[in-house]
Amino acid sequence: MRTNWKKLIGLAFIGLLPALTFAQKEVTLLNVSYDPTRELYQEINTAFAEHWKRDNAGQVVTIKQSHGGSGKQARSVIDGNEADVVTLALAYDIDAIAEHKIIPKDWQKRLPHNSTPYTSTIIFVVRKGNPKGIKDWEDLVKPNVKVIPANPKTSGGARWTYLAGYGAALKKHNGNEAKAKEYIAKFYRNAPVLDVGARGATITFIQRKIGDVLVSWENEALITLNDLGKGEYEIVYPSVSILAEPPVALVDKVVDKRGTRKVAEAYLNFLFTDTAQEIAAKHYYRPRNEAVAKKHAATFKPVQTFTIDELFGGWSKAQKTHFADGGVFDSIFKASR
Amino acid sequence: MVIAALLSAQAGYVLAEDQNDELNKLKQQLHELDQKVRILERNKELEVEAVAAKANTLPSVTLGAGGLSVSSADTNFLLNIRGYVQADSRVFVGGAEAVKGNDTFLLRRVRPIFTGTVWRNYEYRLMFDFASGVTSGTGNNGFLQDGYFNVHYWDEAQLQIGKMKEPVGLERLQSGANLLFIERGLPTQLLPNRDVGVQLHGKLWGNTLAYQIGYFNGVEDGGSGDIETTDDGKDVAARLFVQPFDRTNIDLLKKFGIGVAVTHGSHEGTLRNYVTAGQQTWFRWRTGAGASAATANVLADGDTDRISPQAWYYWGPFGAIAEYAISSHDVIRRAGATTTTRDSFDNHAWQIAASYFLTGEENSFNPVTPKRPFTLGGGGWGAWEIAGRIGQLEVDDDIFRDDDGNGAPDFATTASARKVREWGVGFNWHLNRNVKASVNYINTDFKGGSESKGEVTAQDEEGIFARIQFSF
Repeated sequence: MRTNWKKLIGLAFIGLLPALTFAQKEVTLLNVSYDPTRELYQEINTAFAEHWKRDNAGQVVTIKQSHGGSGKQARSVIDGNEADVVTLALAYDIDAIAEHKIIPKDWQKRLPHNSTPYTSTIIFVVRKGNPKGIKDWEDLVKPNVKVIPANPKTSGGARWTYLAGYGAALKKHNGNEAKAKEYIAKFYRNAPVLDVGARGATITFIQRKIGDVLVSWENEALITLNDLGKGEYEIVYPSVSILAEPPVALVDKVVDKRGTRKVAEAYLNFLFTDTAQEIAAKHYYRPRNEAVAKKHAATFKPVQTFTIDELFGGWSKAQKTHFADGGVFDSIFKASR
Repeated sequence: MVIAALLSAQAGYVLAEDQNDELNKLKQQLHELDQKVRILERNKELEVEAVAAKANTLPSVTLGAGGLSVSSADTNFLLNIRGYVQADSRVFVGGAEAVKGNDTFLLRRVRPIFTGTVWRNYEYRLMFDFASGVTSGTGNNGFLQDGYFNVHYWDEAQLQIGKMKEPVGLERLQSGANLLFIERGLPTQLLPNRDVGVQLHGKLWGNTLAYQIGYFNGVEDGGSGDIETTDDGKDVAARLFVQPFDRTNIDLLKKFGIGVAVTHGSHEGTLRNYVTAGQQTWFRWRTGAGASAATANVLADGDTDRISPQAWYYWGPFGAIAEYAISSHDVIRRAGATTTTRDSFDNHAWQIAASYFLTGEENSFNPVTPKRPFTLGGGGWGAWEIAGRIGQLEVDDDIFRDDDGNGAPDFATTASARKVREWGVGFNWHLNRNVKASVNYINTDFKGGSESKGEVTAQDEEGIFARIQFSF
């Protein structure tokens, strides 16, 4: 005797549907970031998860973090690391991702302030009492001074450091490229150790007690001063430095594949809210929000800055001229060793 | 005298100043040396880090309990080689001893497996079998069990093409290396095994919802096929399996899954007979020449439908599976030039099987790793698992009707039974992740069938089955 199949199958599948109502929707994002932002994003992620849960009927969002040298992190995304968002040290690294059509080329126009929710600059940390009397960029190339930067070939922050020093020399010598090259060659001749990342350079200076001056992100410097070695170090603001703008971007190909676009976009927009801007300031990143910046004015000393566009014609040109294989850095570094 | 004293004091001051200068110079030298040593040490650390980072760009080769794996540095290309061998013993006791030629040692499965990934999103699996009795026929190359690739861009939607298990039977979908009992239960006999086709499948919300829908050549109950040579009909197979509490914190229910699978197709050709746990045939379709009632021949001819509700549940050391299967066939009976009969039959089967790890391991549908692997003279005794199951398979009563009045069933052989019930107990000793020893006692009783001495159905089948399994 034959079974009434249509009825049986229909009932069986319909019977399973109520079971689905128990399913708890949960979403996970991956933020691929650069070296020193670990603590910043730990706090931002917690704040965003609470914010999202409150506004989205209790939906749980978990944000995973990945940190490393900015260029290396960009490479991992190009190679298939499924980042929903990238928060890297420099726009050039996100441009490299865009070249592989993983994100659109106009990514920087999608968020306020050219997609940079916070800024920083490059300053100096010296040992207590400033025994070498370091005050400005010129002091870093004196024969008896050991400077601790990271390696511009592997670190985004170190590229900002290089360009800050090079740009300061250009400013001092009225745009004389030869003098700037001479300066930067002396600078790296005084660097006995080149770490792969900014955090590594901080370890070299603080934990390994090497060198007279750490040249790094302002946020790393302030962490060193206030959190890692209170009372043992001093900060020196040079007369001029670079305006470092670490950008953020949605990774379109990944969010569309994973169905996380809505929450990933909300996450990036959250970075510009007062809450996230306060957290950025707390971790020594200069907030874009003027009101928040004003509130934390005591933390961030005013410093005269120049931009990469002003002195170097943008990241693409700077990369090609200075950091590509056979570029200025290779030539001066080779000569100095 | 005063002058002498002043000169002496002056000389002493100069001497002290000189000593102080000397001390400062030494301090300075010491500081510089200290810095040099620190710089050398730090640069050494960075060199080690650089070497480690470089190592990460090289292909990696690993060998372990999961087999041999080779991976490109970016993990876009993977190859894993593993396999398993099952050496079995079948011994029949009680009345079943009267059946000749059924006690045997055999290699039940000898399966090398190659799995991997190319270009990150394209996965493949090749599994061969060189076990006892495996042959290559027109419709099925038994040497090739699995041969498919899977396009895997999203967990939610993947496309699998080639020879694979049809997504129907719960126990059938469990790997042959992870079975609770040495032979699968009775419902598996009514459901398809491996077939060639294309399948869309995926998981949503983690493991909460798994679905598969495929289009296959279609195979007989419990059968496998590589090529369709008898008809143009194809099978659609679909399965939905829900773990509603997977993402909740209710531990008691997290590993509860329930689902249903169906197939629908149209077929012509042979129908598969049914066997016991001891692999002895207890039901046969008529397969004569079809020239007369005495030599009637029965073939599939029309729709074939199956449905299988199924569930599993695991909580700590306890685990259980349950499934039901209905297999429905349109058949044609030929018994002479003018005597052709058509009919439809529904065969039903079910089973419930459960096990418990005495040694406390977490029970699972997948491989279980002992907490304390067995070592001779050591403290570990592996994992001890006790198991039990009951089940039944009943063929349609109408199969046994005798419309032509010749004293024999119209559609089945005279010796065939109408129903089997089985119960069994088992003990699995997982010595470690790779070695398992099992022993089962399975009792099968028959309703109907031949009672002649020496026939399979003449008495209960009492089988003691044992297995040593090496998997790597």
